[in-house]
Amino acid sequence: YRDLHTFELQAPTRLIEWARGSRVCVAGYGQSDGNEILQLIPPPTLLTKETQGLCPERDFKVECGGFSEHPVYSLKYVPDTSLLVTSGPPDSSLQVWQVSAEDSDVIKSVSPIATENGTGQSWAKIATISARAPWVLHGSRLDRVQITEVESRKNVYTAASGGSEELSGLAFLDCNTLLLCCATGRLCLADVRQPQSLVEAVSVPSAPCSEQWCMGTRLGAQGLEPSSQPVARLSSRGLLTLTDLRKTSEFLALAKARVPSPGSGAEFLCVSWAPALEGCLAISGFDGTVHVYDTQSWDNSGREAEPIFVHKGHAFGGAGGSGDPPLVTVHTWHLQKPRTLLSAASDGSLHVWDWVQPCGKC
Amino acid sequence: MPEIKVTPLGAGQDVGRSCILVSVAGKNVMLDCGMHMGYNDDRRFPDFSYITQNGRLTDFLDCVIISHFHLDHCGALPYFSEMVGYDGPIYMTHPTKAICPILLEDYRKITVDKKGETNFFTSQMIKDCMKKVVAVHLHQTVQVDEELEIKAYYAGHVLGAAMFQIKVGCESVVYTGDYNMTPDRHLGAAWIDKCRPDLLISESTYATTIRDSKRCRERDFLKKVHETVERGGKVLIPVFALGRAQELCILLETFWERMNLKAPIYFSTGLTEKANHYYKLFITWTNQKIRKTFVQRNMFEFKHIKAFDRAFADNPGPMVVFATPGMLHAGQSLQIFRKWAGNEKNMVIMPGYCVQGTVGHKILSGQRKLEMEGRQILEVKMQVEYMSFSAHADAKGIMQLIRQAEPRSVLLVHGEAKKMEFLKQKIEQEFHVNCYMPANGETTTILTNPCIPVDISLGLLKRETAIGPLPDAKKPKLMHGTLLMKDNSFRLVSPEQALKELGLAEHQLRFTCRVHIQDPRKEHETVLRVYNHLKGILKDYSVQHLPDGSITVESILIQATAHSEDQGTKVLLVSWTYQDEELGSYLTSLLKKGLPQST
Repeated sequence: YRDLHTFELQAPTRLIEWARGSRVCVAGYGQSDGNEILQLIPPPTLLTKETQGLCPERDFKVECGGFSEHPVYSLKYVPDTSLLVTSGPPDSSLQVWQVSAEDSDVIKSVSPIATENGTGQSWAKIATISARAPWVLHGSRLDRVQITEVESRKNVYTAASGGSEELSGLAFLDCNTLLLCCATGRLCLADVRQPQSLVEAVSVPSAPCSEQWCMGTRLGAQGLEPSSQPVARLSSRGLLTLTDLRKTSEFLALAKARVPSPGSGAEFLCVSWAPALEGCLAISGFDGTVHVYDTQSWDNSGREAEPIFVHKGHAFGGAGGSGDPPLVTVHTWHLQKPRTLLSAASDGSLHVWDWVQPCGKC
Repeated sequence: MPEIKVTPLGAGQDVGRSCILVSVAGKNVMLDCGMHMGYNDDRRFPDFSYITQNGRLTDFLDCVIISHFHLDHCGALPYFSEMVGYDGPIYMTHPTKAICPILLEDYRKITVDKKGETNFFTSQMIKDCMKKVVAVHLHQTVQVDEELEIKAYYAGHVLGAAMFQIKVGCESVVYTGDYNMTPDRHLGAAWIDKCRPDLLISESTYATTIRDSKRCRERDFLKKVHETVERGGKVLIPVFALGRAQELCILLETFWERMNLKAPIYFSTGLTEKANHYYKLFITWTNQKIRKTFVQRNMFEFKHIKAFDRAFADNPGPMVVFATPGMLHAGQSLQIFRKWAGNEKNMVIMPGYCVQGTVGHKILSGQRKLEMEGRQILEVKMQVEYMSFSAHADAKGIMQLIRQAEPRSVLLVHGEAKKMEFLKQKIEQEFHVNCYMPANGETTTILTNPCIPVDISLGLLKRETAIGPLPDAKKPKLMHGTLLMKDNSFRLVSPEQALKELGLAEHQLRFTCRVHIQDPRKEHETVLRVYNHLKGILKDYSVQHLPDGSITVESILIQATAHSEDQGTKVLLVSWTYQDEELGSYLTSLLKKGLPQST
């Protein structure tokens, strides 16, 4: 490590979102009500390029917070507005919130966005964009994907139904192109201007036992053509596939991560690309660790890949032997500092770490 | 309605100069008397004119309580007691009483000698002020007067820091001062019992902070020290005589042992003796682990840490030195600093806040060329680091304390209004209590619902329990009695006993009403008519016709006489006692309706 900071949140979070002004947002997902949404100001050590060892201000500060009646599983800021959208059980509806940090430190709930709730529907996955207007893309299943305009609550797009599988993630590739990932691993592209068609990308290799998939897209990087960046898919067994969206008929790369099996389920599976390092991605959700991989040397064989770094901090942090070892619930990359990541675990810990590149590589 | 009034005179919505005025059931208490470290003029003192415009403070205040020795909680005490004028008792814990005068004197020296201020308290004033101090033990109930009592609870934070419960009758307030809910190497965590005060006054400075873990801070501190020592440099750590110094010593000693390091660590003279002396005196104030090890070997006699001698500062090679005073404003630490400042291999680590005007403050603000006595310029090439280990409660800690004490209301001090709204809502939602955040000079009134204990006479109790259903603990039972308030006691007795005790005679009230009836017949015939009429209607009552010509309905008497002027009209006299009021009124209105024709 070059640097490691550990913090303890009052309640564990399963999301870490970046907001304007280098703010970070976390939220509680516990069963009891009174879950808090916290917008945090990271300590100056995280914001500066130089890593300082001793610094007077080393703490996160809660800039503002809100109270949610339901567990918060997903949260996205609506760009260019002071709003954010959350989703979570028990249904697929969304909640809109207003952040006005200068006036008060309370994040106020504005109103919900109701959705059709069929039986057995889980919570909605969300993505936001503010190209033509502030939009939120949401849905819990492949046949329930829609885009709602945040301010007017109008529905501006409904995706053609391609099946009723559960979604594990969705994203805007650009203001017209959507990427939808199902828990089965199916990846679909849709164009907002052509609501009737859904293009399917290459499926994942079929598995003997059921596994769940999630995806990671590299959108943080500036000035890059979104479709030129490969989409990574991670399975609960540790399989990783990379797909180039311009050549969806084949895999760009296929590898296996070294993860404990049987896995602890797909609840917290998370894969993300480094915004400032070419070909680097991180995975978590199997145990108390976060793995960082360099995918540039990968091929199609599906061989086991060696991580270039493993963060084990959460596994050691815990309350010492009581109950289950902590599980990493989410991780994210720092937008500017190339090797800095933030990760959170089920015991409420929040780590900020900066790893050292093993010699020999970029 | 009984109420508790709270007025912050300082630390209302800002940090510094803590001073809070509390009024409980007619008793006035001042909590802390701190100095604001950011100001140089009178703004650094709390505004005492809020208390009383003309009267003497000694008459108005029942007592003053100081929570701990930090200057932002006790810095204005000598000014308050000697220059403004207060002669009443000042309560604080034993360690606070021992350490306060040292810090106050230090502070006085910097302000007067270094900065040349004139309107400031003198050494003698500090001494006179401390003479008014009454020291208290933890969990000891102290009777300030017949009605007011106070009790100190362990607060962690620094040696001797306490939270205080102020109780008058059954109304109470708990003031936390600065506290910490997580134990560290030499202090335990704050603790209070389920005392259910009407009001809990808590600091909220760090409520919005999510602290970096202790391990990380310590690791970084050790890393810095290690790096400096490895490259042959010298590390200077200016400290106060007590407090964090012990924490850091323990940390270094353990690290040196584990890493098998050879560089010497020194503790400047006077520091060891004073530190040991105080810790021996106040061993019960440190945490469990230290107390245990102290019995085996003196925790403050270290294997790797030796006493310092002035000459050592010139020795070549790496070393670590702890020296007083903490802000580099005078004495040994400043001397060492001047010797080592010019070498970039060396490092100085400031472990706490430095007052404006001190060298410590200047170098932390980035100044690298300092003017010393005799206009000498000192160039600072050594590395300057700041490491704060001071412990305050964060949001989680505040919630924990509220959960422990179960107050009926909460009042927050020490934070900025805009940044406390979230915490206020959090507290209100989780505990369903009111949460207040007054600004300086603003009075918050909290209504209380005190229970008033009343003695009940045995006779009354027996009588009331004899009638009606058996007493049930869950159901309130309505009783009738007379409340006697004599001197300061309340007693509930039967009316008869009350009359007897007070020497009063019982009065009998009798009502008489005249009803006119048209009846030309003789009186006794009218009476018979009335009797038959009433007997027919009032079947459940005892209606009797007496030989003397009167009618009784229960205990009500009815008599008929002829009207003096008009033979055709009979006058019925209806008479009843106060107890039969209801029946009496009913009978009267019944008779007023007239008699039926038939009888």
